[in-house]
Amino acid sequence: MDNKEQTDKILFLLKSIDEKLDKLLRMKHIYMADEVPEGLDVMTLLSLPDHLRTTATALIENGVSTAEDLAKITSKKRAVESSYLNQLVRMGHVRKFRKGKKVFFEIQSSL
Amino acid sequence: MSFSISIHSSKGGTGKTCIAQNLAYAYAMDGKNVCLLDLDLKSPSLFSGLFPVKDCWLNSVLEGRQEIDDVLVDATREMGTKGRVCVGYSNPDIAEIREISLKDRRWQSQALQKLIDCKKKLFSSGFDVVIMDSSPGVDYTSVNVVACSEYVITVFKSGESRGVQLVINGIYKPLEKRCFAIENMNNGVSSFSFEDQIPVPVLARIPCMCDVSKYGTKKLFTCEDPAHPFSKAIFNLKDQIC
Repeated sequence: MDNKEQTDKILFLLKSIDEKLDKLLRMKHIYMADEVPEGLDVMTLLSLPDHLRTTATALIENGVSTAEDLAKITSKKRAVESSYLNQLVRMGHVRKFRKGKKVFFEIQSSL
Repeated sequence: MSFSISIHSSKGGTGKTCIAQNLAYAYAMDGKNVCLLDLDLKSPSLFSGLFPVKDCWLNSVLEGRQEIDDVLVDATREMGTKGRVCVGYSNPDIAEIREISLKDRRWQSQALQKLIDCKKKLFSSGFDVVIMDSSPGVDYTSVNVVACSEYVITVFKSGESRGVQLVINGIYKPLEKRCFAIENMNNGVSSFSFEDQIPVPVLARIPCMCDVSKYGTKKLFTCEDPAHPFSKAIFNLKDQIC
């Protein structure tokens, strides 16, 4: 298996894990509002791992964005950005919403 | 292309405000439209009364009660610059300063978003350079300002390089900022030993000068005395940034 095939397989698996986690959250009504901070303050941003911080920083600066918008800024693959954004959604820092066929992300509003 | 610069330091009393206001004037003399913001919310300087003031504050913008355009003061006529100069102030009222100290992380998260929105609005309304004078040290009020700017200038005094390295490695780099350093009040001895070199360009080593210490923020050297060594250092700094 060459590098591209391996990368594609990893991305496919990441996407599939993301979808399953999202489904679990919806099915079991897991609300973590009491456990996670709402919004994303700069000190929390600094404490994020590098890959998530880059994505979150780009989202803060860019405002409402798709994974593709952010991938252009961070020079990563769309699927990778999508995975990172979904992690930030699960952590309670980012809100995800659908408009037509597109999925958008924005920093969770706290007020 | 428009850009914003935050002037920050790991400690107070390094001359940030003096550099911010002189740099603002230097850019405006070049024909750039400049917005100078006093974002030292815990210790507002009011830029020592060098620019006109009105009873409107940046605090209200961060609270979402007013828009950035409503609180800016146009100082172009008083300054006589080629470009436009507008100034925004933090509220010096002690009750407001106490209030800022009590803000929680949710509010600070909103404040960061408001700052970014303000910056974008200023760019879209024709400002070329936004200079933000921040609080010293590491807290929400200062790091929010750093986070929303394109460039960070960290100002330090001779012999205080350790704090500089901490903020560069712990704040600016993780936020992926383009960072420069200025050694102010240099006493002729470099603050950095060979092992201590920092990985950001030191754009200026401004010598300690009695008249700069005497007048501090109360005199706009770049305006009143452009041939002064301090003014020359600021003009040179401006040319190196952009």
